[in-house]
Amino acid sequence: MAKQRTIVGSPLTPMLLKELRAVDSFPLTPEDFKPTEEWVNTYRIWTCHGYRESGNKNVGFLRIERVRDSDEAFTLKMHEEVLQTDAMVGLIDGTITCRNNPQASPTRWNLSSRFISADGEHISELHSNNNSAPSENVEGITGDWCLFEAVQRLAFDKQSTLSFDLLEGMSLLKAKHRLSYRGVHSASITATDTALHCFVQLGRGILPHEYWLDARHRLMIVTSMNKAYILDEQAEKIFAQDVERARKSYRNKASRRK
Amino acid sequence: MEVMDKNIKEWRSSREINRREFIKLGSSAVALLASAPLMRNAFGGRRGRTPKPKNIVLIITDQQHIDTIAAGGCRHVRTPALDRLKTSGVSFTQSYSANPLCSPARSAVFTGRTSSECAVHINGRPIRSDIPNLGQWLSEQTDYETFYAGKWHLPGTYMSHIPGFKVINTGIGGFGYLCDTVMSRACEGFLRNRNRTKPFFLVASFMQPHDICEWLRLNMDNPGQLRYPELASELPELPGNFEYDENEPDTIRRMRRGNEPFKGKWDKEHWRYYRWSYYRNIEYVDAEIGRVLQALDEHGHVNDTLIVMTADHGEGMGHHQMVRKSSFYNEAARVPLLFSWPGHVAENKTDTVHLASGLDITPTLCDYAGIQPPAHMRGVSLRAILEANGTLSRDFIVSEVSTNTGRMLRTANYKYITYKDNLVEQLFDMTNDPGETWNLAASSRYASPLAEHRKLLKEWEARLDVPSSIPNAEVWRHKI
Repeated sequence: MAKQRTIVGSPLTPMLLKELRAVDSFPLTPEDFKPTEEWVNTYRIWTCHGYRESGNKNVGFLRIERVRDSDEAFTLKMHEEVLQTDAMVGLIDGTITCRNNPQASPTRWNLSSRFISADGEHISELHSNNNSAPSENVEGITGDWCLFEAVQRLAFDKQSTLSFDLLEGMSLLKAKHRLSYRGVHSASITATDTALHCFVQLGRGILPHEYWLDARHRLMIVTSMNKAYILDEQAEKIFAQDVERARKSYRNKASRRK
Repeated sequence: MEVMDKNIKEWRSSREINRREFIKLGSSAVALLASAPLMRNAFGGRRGRTPKPKNIVLIITDQQHIDTIAAGGCRHVRTPALDRLKTSGVSFTQSYSANPLCSPARSAVFTGRTSSECAVHINGRPIRSDIPNLGQWLSEQTDYETFYAGKWHLPGTYMSHIPGFKVINTGIGGFGYLCDTVMSRACEGFLRNRNRTKPFFLVASFMQPHDICEWLRLNMDNPGQLRYPELASELPELPGNFEYDENEPDTIRRMRRGNEPFKGKWDKEHWRYYRWSYYRNIEYVDAEIGRVLQALDEHGHVNDTLIVMTADHGEGMGHHQMVRKSSFYNEAARVPLLFSWPGHVAENKTDTVHLASGLDITPTLCDYAGIQPPAHMRGVSLRAILEANGTLSRDFIVSEVSTNTGRMLRTANYKYITYKDNLVEQLFDMTNDPGETWNLAASSRYASPLAEHRKLLKEWEARLDVPSSIPNAEVWRHKI
C-alpha cells in the first residue's frame, strides 16, 4: 500500500525548512563579520519535491569566498558541485572580479564547468570554459553568485532596492530584476529566536528568490520555490558523503546489470 | 547485449519486408495516410535525392503549453531562443501530444508507435523490447552517433544507460531549476569539444517548465493575499475558458477535484499568480535552450544541423480550471513543434492547417536521415510540409491517455473525446469554439459527425498492436 504523502502547501521559509528538517542550526556569525571585508560562506543546496515525508534532499553545495582587491574592486571565488542521478557530479568553479558598487557588478570572470563520472573520472568531452574580457561597461548588471555578496551590503531598510539585469551563471542575461527589502522575521531555528531579515528578488526568467540574513548581515538562507541554499559549515563534508553513497549505490546497480 | 542483438535481428528482418507488406503492416497508417501522394510524403519519396543534415538535435521540454512563445504571440514571456527557432523554421499550431503524460508521450516520440503499443500506458514503464527507439534505429541504420542528455523516463526519469544512446548527462530527478542548467552546460561542453567531422544525433531533454508541479504543491494553500504585492500589475489575466462544463466526463471532473487549486480553494488572484509563475519557468528553460543554440553557433554547427523542438505534453494553465496534464483539452494536449534547418526547412512559416503529432517525429527524422523508419509507424514524415508548399492529406490524428482508458480523435474541424466507462462523450467544433467550451456530443444536430468520429476511432484502434497485458487493451480492440 502506498504511503500517504502530505503536500507541503506553502512556500519555503526558514521556519518551514526547520519543520521539514532541512535546517536545525546555523553557524555562529563571528562578531567581527563584515560583509565588505574577506569571508567564506558555504551553503548546502537542498531541494523539495513538495511533500513533507519524501523526495526532499541535499543535492550539492556552493562555496563563495570574498577577497578584497582594493577600495574599488573585490574578487569572488566560487565553487559549486551538484550530484546528479547515477552519481555523476556537475562542477563549476571560477573567479569573478566585481566592482565595489551596490550590485557587485562583474567586470571580469573565468569559469570552468566540468563533469565527474560515477567512477570519479573527469569527463573531458563535457568540459567548457567561460572567460570574459575585462569590461567597465557593467553598471546595472550583476550575476546570481554576485548577489550572494551584494545582498549582505544592503541596509535593512525599505528604501534598499537594487535594480539590475541578471547575468545568470555569468552567461544567461535575464533583464529587469529588482531586489528589495521585505522586513524582519523571527525564526526559532536554534534554541533562541533568530531575527532574519528578508530581501526579495523578482525579475524575468526566474521565480522569486528570498534572501534571509542575520542581524550581522550574513546571508543564512536563500529560497526559491523548490530549492534552498542553507549556510552550513559541514556542507562539503555532507556532500562528499552523499557522493560516496551514490557511487556505491551506482556500483551495486552496475554489478546487478552485469 | 544479447537482447540488443536479438532486437536488431528482428528489426533487420522487419526492414526486409517489401513496400506492399510495409503498407499492410503499417495499415493504421493507411487510415492516416489516405492517399498515394501522401505515402510519398510520409516515407520519403525524395529519399536519396535530397540533402541530409549532418547533425540532428532534438530538444524536448517537459509540460510546455503551446502558446508560450513570444514570437508566436504570447505577450507574457520573453523567449529569444524559442523565437529564434520559430522564426528560422516551421512551427505547427495544431500539433498534439500522442499522450499528454510524460512517459507515454515520450514513448511515442521516440518510437513512432502509440504509447499503448509501446506498453507505456502510464509513467515509469520501459518501451516494449521489440520496438526500437530512435537512438537504436539511427545508430543501427546510419552513421549518426547518438547522444542523450537529460530526462528520459522510460522507465527511469534520469538514467545513465539508455538503449541506443550514449548518455552524456543524467540530470537530477524532479528539479528542473538545477537539472536544466547542469544539463545544458554538459551539452555546451559536448558541442564545443565534439569532433566536427563526425555526424551526431543529440537529444537535449529539459525538465522545465515541469517544476510547476512542485510549485503547485508548495503553493497549494490559498494565501488570501499575493505573496509579492508588487506583482499585482504583472499577473496575466485568466483565460477566456476559465469556467468549466459541469457535465464533463467523470474522469476529468475527478481529476480537477483532486488537483491543488480545488483542495486549496484558490481565489482568482492565486490562479493568476500560478500562471505568472509558469511563464517564469518558460523563460527559464528558454534561456537554457539558448545556451545550447549558442554552442551550436559558436562551433559551426548551425547550417548543417536540423533542430527539432517539442514538448512531451502541455499544461492546463487554468483553462477549464485545470492544471498539469493528462487531459485532452487543447492546453494539455497540444505541444510546440518547431523544425529549423537554415536553407532547407522553410523560414518563418507557421502551419495552422496541418494536424501534427508526437508520433510524426520518428518518421520525420528517419526521412531526414535518409532511411526507412521502423515498421508500423503510426505517424508520418512532415518533410514535405517543412521544405516547401507540400501538403499532407491526413484526415485525423489520435491521442490516448488515462491508463489507456481515454482517446481523442482530432479532425480538421472537430475534436472527439471518449473515456472507457464514461457515458459522457465530448465533441467540440474546433473552428467555431477553439476554447472547447460547448460540448456538442449530446446535440442531435451533430449526430452525424459524432458517428463519423466514433467510426474513425474504431478503425484506428482495430489496427493497433496493443499487448494484451496492457490494461483495457480489450476495450479498444475492435473487429472491422
